[in-house]
Amino acid sequence: MASDELSYATIRDIGARLRRRALSPVELTRALLERIERLDPRLHAFVTVTADRALADAKAAEAALGRGDISSPLLGIPVGYKDIYATRGILTTGGSALLADWIPTEDATCVTRLQRAGAVMLGKLITHEFAFGIQFPGHRFAAAKNPWDLERMPGGSSSGSGAALAAGLAFGALGSDTGGSIRGPASFCGITGLKPTYGRCSRAGVLTLSWTLDHTGPMARTVEDCAYLLQALAGHDAADPASSREPVPDYVAPLSRGVRGLRVGVPREYFFEGIDPEVEKGFEQALATLRQLGAALEDVQIPSIQAAGAYTAILLAEAFAYHEHDLREHPERFGEILRERMLAGALITASEYVQAQRLRTQLRADMNAVLRRVDVLATPTSPKTAPTFTTVYDPEYGFPRGNTGPFNMTGLPALALPCGFTAAGLPLSIQITGRPFDEATILRVGHTYEQATSWRTRHPNL
Amino acid sequence: MTLEELRDRMKAARVEIAENRLELVRRLLTDALRPIHAMDSRKHRTLEPAVTFDAGRPRGDHGQ
Repeated sequence: MASDELSYATIRDIGARLRRRALSPVELTRALLERIERLDPRLHAFVTVTADRALADAKAAEAALGRGDISSPLLGIPVGYKDIYATRGILTTGGSALLADWIPTEDATCVTRLQRAGAVMLGKLITHEFAFGIQFPGHRFAAAKNPWDLERMPGGSSSGSGAALAAGLAFGALGSDTGGSIRGPASFCGITGLKPTYGRCSRAGVLTLSWTLDHTGPMARTVEDCAYLLQALAGHDAADPASSREPVPDYVAPLSRGVRGLRVGVPREYFFEGIDPEVEKGFEQALATLRQLGAALEDVQIPSIQAAGAYTAILLAEAFAYHEHDLREHPERFGEILRERMLAGALITASEYVQAQRLRTQLRADMNAVLRRVDVLATPTSPKTAPTFTTVYDPEYGFPRGNTGPFNMTGLPALALPCGFTAAGLPLSIQITGRPFDEATILRVGHTYEQATSWRTRHPNL
Repeated sequence: MTLEELRDRMKAARVEIAENRLELVRRLLTDALRPIHAMDSRKHRTLEPAVTFDAGRPRGDHGQ
């Protein structure tokens, strides 16, 4: 049985133990598989546990370490993949009854890159239905639960990824983020998630929700661990039409450079609407910590920020376009809520979609202008903490507005990391956003803040 | 958006949504379209829809 100390170790720490042969990848993987077997029946983070594959990967990593191969920091590190990433020969459901029996013949590029880096595949992590719906009671796939409070959602759509990391069932995970699906679960589960710049990480082999808003990226328990994962993931992929040729810098080495002199902009409009007082208090305390660490803070204005609401129109229209055939031919295979949301996309006119894209252009220009004056932006990741299942299962529960969608509209890199807890013990999160392809700076800000606080050392009582 | 307009749009798009869910869909669309309907497109003539970002652009050019 994996001890909490081992299960909640970082990729850096585990990697160091593996490389000096103080820990065997096979022993580590067996321990995590036992922990998954013990805890996941209550959490439902995994759709598929690939125990045989995990042990085979671990044995390969052990052999590589035996040959003195210590070049990859991910060698022998157990990870999980959101179940919208295609995995060759392994069930990939998208959390949907429509794909309940789909076994891809190829790996998604991101999966290939982590496996080549020596990662151990523990299994596939539950996603909200097609990364957009919610698993209501009776759905073919059970909804993941929040390890901090099993009556609450872990966020979504990378729900299993967030839950697995918070519960110490994996050391890293892949998520995807169309409007906050990496950062939302990171926020609600008290872990770290990075939505890289649009084009930085490949979407090839990942189920589409909205072509122009979809991003792939890493989730982990610390900023540094996200940096290790990003290092392996980032880079051009000819199989993704939106993939960038921007060179990939070193994401790990600059982490320790601190934030002294960095300019942090705080956009107050939009991001504080409807905010919980405890969320606001935690965020303001995080800002105070950044100031103490030497960052220069200033409030900033993004003139067209209210246009960010047009994000939903783009998402709905593109999601309908992608799923139209199945929605018309097999509507019964979609969950009721997801079907209604996607059908709403059919009701958006061509002119409205184009105007939404024009507003997006304005928003990008305004954010880029602000980011010429400051190095990063800081906002609360979510104005609320994790809702209860009772709340979201209410038929009147709508489509919540969040603080993450604006950065899918603009394609800017955004990092979510813990910044405290409510009195009831629910995680709080700060979102750091940066210039295009400047993941290194937001990771540096996040790492510096994280190392000055102890939020990452708290774990749910399971 | 009124429920009547929603029904007109459903007819035009050939989609069916359960009657007891129409109000929720109406709210969803109203929120999604609010900034678009508030936009005066005559004041934004220079704005072109940007559905691609930097793919294929030369190094260092992020389209800013």
